[in-house]
Amino acid sequence: MHASIQQQDADKLPGQVPGSASDQGSTVAQRIAHIDDDPDIRDTVRRILEANEYAVESYQTMNDFMVSLWNSTNPPDLAILDVMVETMDIGLEAYVEIHKRFPELHLIFMTSLGEEIRPYFTGLSDEWILIMEKPVEPTSFLSIIHSRLENNES
Amino acid sequence: MAVVKFSWNPSDKNRFALPGVGTNGAKLSDEVLINNARWFIIFRWGVIGVLLLFQVLALIASDELTKIGITHQQGWPLAVTLVLFIANVLYIQALDFQRHTKYNSPAINIWAQIIVDLLCLSVVVHFIGSIATPAPFFYVLHIALACIFFSTLESLVVTALVCLMYATILLDEHPLIFTASQALTIDPGISVLSPLKINIFLWMFTVDVLFIIIWYVVSRLAIVVRIHEHNLVDAYEEIRRAQVEKDRYAVLMTHQLKAPLDAIRSKINLIKGEYCGEVSPEIREVISKIDHRASGMAALILDVLKLERLKAAARDNNAREQISIETVIHKCIDKLGPIASSRHIDVKVSLQDFAVAGIPNQLEILLENVISNAITYSYDNTTVEIVAAVEGAGSYGTVTVTDHGIGIGEKDLPHIFDEYFYTPRAALHNRTSSGIGLSIVKTVAENNKLQIRISSEQNAGTAFSVIFPTVISVSIPETKVHAGAPGSHLVNSQSPPLDSGKDGNELASTH
Repeated sequence: MHASIQQQDADKLPGQVPGSASDQGSTVAQRIAHIDDDPDIRDTVRRILEANEYAVESYQTMNDFMVSLWNSTNPPDLAILDVMVETMDIGLEAYVEIHKRFPELHLIFMTSLGEEIRPYFTGLSDEWILIMEKPVEPTSFLSIIHSRLENNES
Repeated sequence: MAVVKFSWNPSDKNRFALPGVGTNGAKLSDEVLINNARWFIIFRWGVIGVLLLFQVLALIASDELTKIGITHQQGWPLAVTLVLFIANVLYIQALDFQRHTKYNSPAINIWAQIIVDLLCLSVVVHFIGSIATPAPFFYVLHIALACIFFSTLESLVVTALVCLMYATILLDEHPLIFTASQALTIDPGISVLSPLKINIFLWMFTVDVLFIIIWYVVSRLAIVVRIHEHNLVDAYEEIRRAQVEKDRYAVLMTHQLKAPLDAIRSKINLIKGEYCGEVSPEIREVISKIDHRASGMAALILDVLKLERLKAAARDNNAREQISIETVIHKCIDKLGPIASSRHIDVKVSLQDFAVAGIPNQLEILLENVISNAITYSYDNTTVEIVAAVEGAGSYGTVTVTDHGIGIGEKDLPHIFDEYFYTPRAALHNRTSSGIGLSIVKTVAENNKLQIRISSEQNAGTAFSVIFPTVISVSIPETKVHAGAPGSHLVNSQSPPLDSGKDGNELASTH
């Protein structure tokens, strides 16, 4: 399983949906998009999520994700955004854009700066934005994802 | 072949600017105009009062006034008073109760005030005496004010208006000037320029020259003041930009330093979570130690950013808010509880809630650091006691965090607030200490004008008190025990040996 996951993490085409997680179970796995320029973080997130029956779409740049999202008829259930990918504030710009077009799509920020990035979020949105601090810690990471997706369903 | 041209325009740098900072020049100018319009209105109430007084005087001593050349029979003071009163009410209405539009701007308001005032003053000058009394010199006041609040050209228009009005009064009072000039054309041989007419012309000319000189001098001065004001605004903008740029740089550096560590720690977490297969206890232990050191380094990197931001916040005039101590302490405990329970340390809380004025989030940072230190330097299986109380008959509040741990040596105590200071004993107990935590505490205490008292005994523990010199409100005393702390009991804040510094060392650190 792990070998196949590693293969999938190699440079993917934007919007390409891996089938590994959804192929395994009879039910359709919930889809999570993850955008991060750090391959190690992408790999870690993918391993954790796929081991827990989620389908993961990894993107190296915010642009790849947005292109794929604009062209897709079936957006993912949740997206985990890095704040500083190509430029310092691309994550914030992307958030505004995605939130406008897909208000139903749950978005979570994951950044090394943790809560220290929040001053830059002022005025971005009225609702509380969830910011996770790196590194990825499997237990808390999964509980956040789980609770977010549960909210999504309800 | 790809060709790219690079240019660095400083104005582009603000794209990632902190929101809510900065001043709008036009808005500021409007605010100044509104303030001055209000000041004029208040001043005018004074003038109205003086005019009313004049009318009372006229009733009592009308003969004396006539003797000194002031005519009052026509009832002009009443008319002027009424006009000024109605105008004043209208200005207030336009300024405070109507929406500001293109046709109801503070500038138009001030223009209307000046023109109406000039007309009223002209009436006053006419009836009090255009030559015999110093009344015309009150025109100077209007010219000076116009120079201060309007552009040079606009103030020149006001000056011209003043000259015109004054000339009209003189012509109205001495219509012979007109007829004389006509007579001059009919019969050039007759000399009509009597000494009185020459005097009036000379007077008008002199006063007009005076008005123009005053306009020139005051408008020059106003230009100088405006240039300085403009430079000041520019300098503030420059400082603000530098601060934003500094924060941006700090954020970027923090990110670049911490990101590789986070990648390493994420991978470590994969191994620890057995996502890469089973892990032997030996490997798990080594991996945990690597992670522990890396987490210390990551915390240090974030602490440097926090400290820089706190120092920058001290320079800002942040709006203070009313903060409940109980809420802050509970937030800290929610965050730090898991760390305490992992080392079997009970956190016991006895709170008398009170509110203080402070910069939002900073008190949380302060208490989080203090409580985190208490947990870090406690021995395992001990307790950390947090007591909030209002003392001195409700005049000041204290939050005391007492631990039972390694304590601070007498020699080290005076230095604990030095940046990057750490003692070998502390380092031995906690290898991940950044030496910044207490610098953060000190900066927050300075920013919020708090005092700190520490009493400590080596190998016994430390009592760390934060003193809030002004308490806004005090709630009904209540005591609470932190949920989930088995076998907790209410803590006596005076419990030996760390209470009053009798046995330990005491340091009173003031901001």
